[in-house]
Amino acid sequence: MTVARTNDDAFEALFTAEYARVVSIANRVLADSHEAEDVAQEVFIEFHRLHSASADYAPAWLHRAAAHSALNRLRGAKRRQRRELSQAAGEGDQTLDPQKQLELNEDRRNVREALGRMAPKPAAVLVLRASGLSYAEVARSLGVGIGQVGTLLRRAEETLRKEVTRGTSI
Amino acid sequence: MAHLSDGSLRRIYDDPDAKTGADALHLENCVACQARLKAVSEDARSVASLLAVPDVKVDVARAFSQVTSAPAAQPKFGIRLPLVRSTSRALVLAFAAALAMLALVVTAVAQGGFSSTPTTVKLVPVTVADMQALYQLSDYGTIKWTTKPDLQLVPSADQVTSTVSPPNVGYVPSNVSKNVTYGTMSKAVATFTFSKDKAEAAATKHGKTLPPMPKGMDGATLTVTLGPAVAEIYGNLQQPASGSDITQAALPQLVIVKSLVPTVSSPQVGAAEFERYLLQQPGISPSLADAIRALGSSGTTLPILVPVQFSSHESTTVKGNAAVALGDNTGLGSGVVWISGKYVYVVAGTIKKDEAKTIANNLS
Repeated sequence: MTVARTNDDAFEALFTAEYARVVSIANRVLADSHEAEDVAQEVFIEFHRLHSASADYAPAWLHRAAAHSALNRLRGAKRRQRRELSQAAGEGDQTLDPQKQLELNEDRRNVREALGRMAPKPAAVLVLRASGLSYAEVARSLGVGIGQVGTLLRRAEETLRKEVTRGTSI
Repeated sequence: MAHLSDGSLRRIYDDPDAKTGADALHLENCVACQARLKAVSEDARSVASLLAVPDVKVDVARAFSQVTSAPAAQPKFGIRLPLVRSTSRALVLAFAAALAMLALVVTAVAQGGFSSTPTTVKLVPVTVADMQALYQLSDYGTIKWTTKPDLQLVPSADQVTSTVSPPNVGYVPSNVSKNVTYGTMSKAVATFTFSKDKAEAAATKHGKTLPPMPKGMDGATLTVTLGPAVAEIYGNLQQPASGSDITQAALPQLVIVKSLVPTVSSPQVGAAEFERYLLQQPGISPSLADAIRALGSSGTTLPILVPVQFSSHESTTVKGNAAVALGDNTGLGSGVVWISGKYVYVVAGTIKKDEAKTIANNLS
């Protein structure tokens, strides 16, 4: 029982420390706070089911799982694209005029479609870095050397820009 | 000095202090690299703008409450397997093969071989909804252990008492712990007894009428035999003393499982009739029905169900045997499953798919 209680305590500490960041990563992909929280909670439940909360790889696992789960959801759910406009409008900058808000929503939709077309690893590196992870944290999450992150990031940015351009020119 | 790489320039944009003295000196004197840094920086700013989203305000306490109060996963086939209690962590992966087999036999029944021993594996992509539909088979009968599996952890190969000997592992990735624990599972037998009353109730729940049961189906039994199996578990387990409660162990990085292939037998029900009947059940999606039919009726193929929404997968070979590889090369998790002779093997863990294949091809 002592072990179980210790593990539960460790999980609560891990959750408290990482939940906001895991949501942030998922939200970076989905641009939908409610769906991002769904993803984050699924990720934590899955982690708790299979892993020791005190594992040293826990944060990296959670970050990577959040990115991949959100990207999977993005690819698998066309409904998201339809929901996004209304969702984003509710969360958007209320000071923007309606026309600018519409343009912003359209941009977000295009970017998410482009992310969904990218390979998992480049998409993940973009999302993790944009979510504020350091180079070291991105490297641990993706299982690459820290020296590779800059290169991966640069290539991923080029790919995203091309995909966004491709998406808007169709 | 050569020009700075794009990666280095990208890093310098994010963290100007990260550059070495030589890089700084080169950049200060190289107009070309300065121009490239400007372009890299503009691209980075542009992408950051594209990926910008409103901040999310989270209620961590509320979210934690939701997560900890989430219902446990539904027991598969209406039985609570001893391996998947909420506190069990160690052998969930270690005996993934054996557990998966219990799920897979449900599809195996559609192969037409009710007294069959699979000799190869085949990939069957399914949706999560398909898998959930399979799990609902407990709505159509009762499942119970005739012989419960006995699970043990021992610290060395010498102490493995299973009739299945652990395979020799010729390759282990350098980042995987060299701490090895051995797990064994005794032979286990589960029986599924069809129930017309339950099946009718299930059909009614789905708003449909149960198709007429073939003669002899009501009360017919389907017997599934799993194991014995042995697992080699790599990782820093919170290893209990030999023979103690396995549920106290922690997650392994890598598990290698070798098990006698599962067998399925049903003396009362004809194969073709059962396949037809299964395909008519409410809840079986058209895609899964197609997949089941695609398996053919040889009775020698063990279908590996793959959730298409969550995992990349491919058919491959291990030492000439048909195999299924799951996962990807991110290291998030992957595995390989194959049958060789009378054994089914699984290599799985928080490793890259290519590594899993290499491990598989170096077993002996």
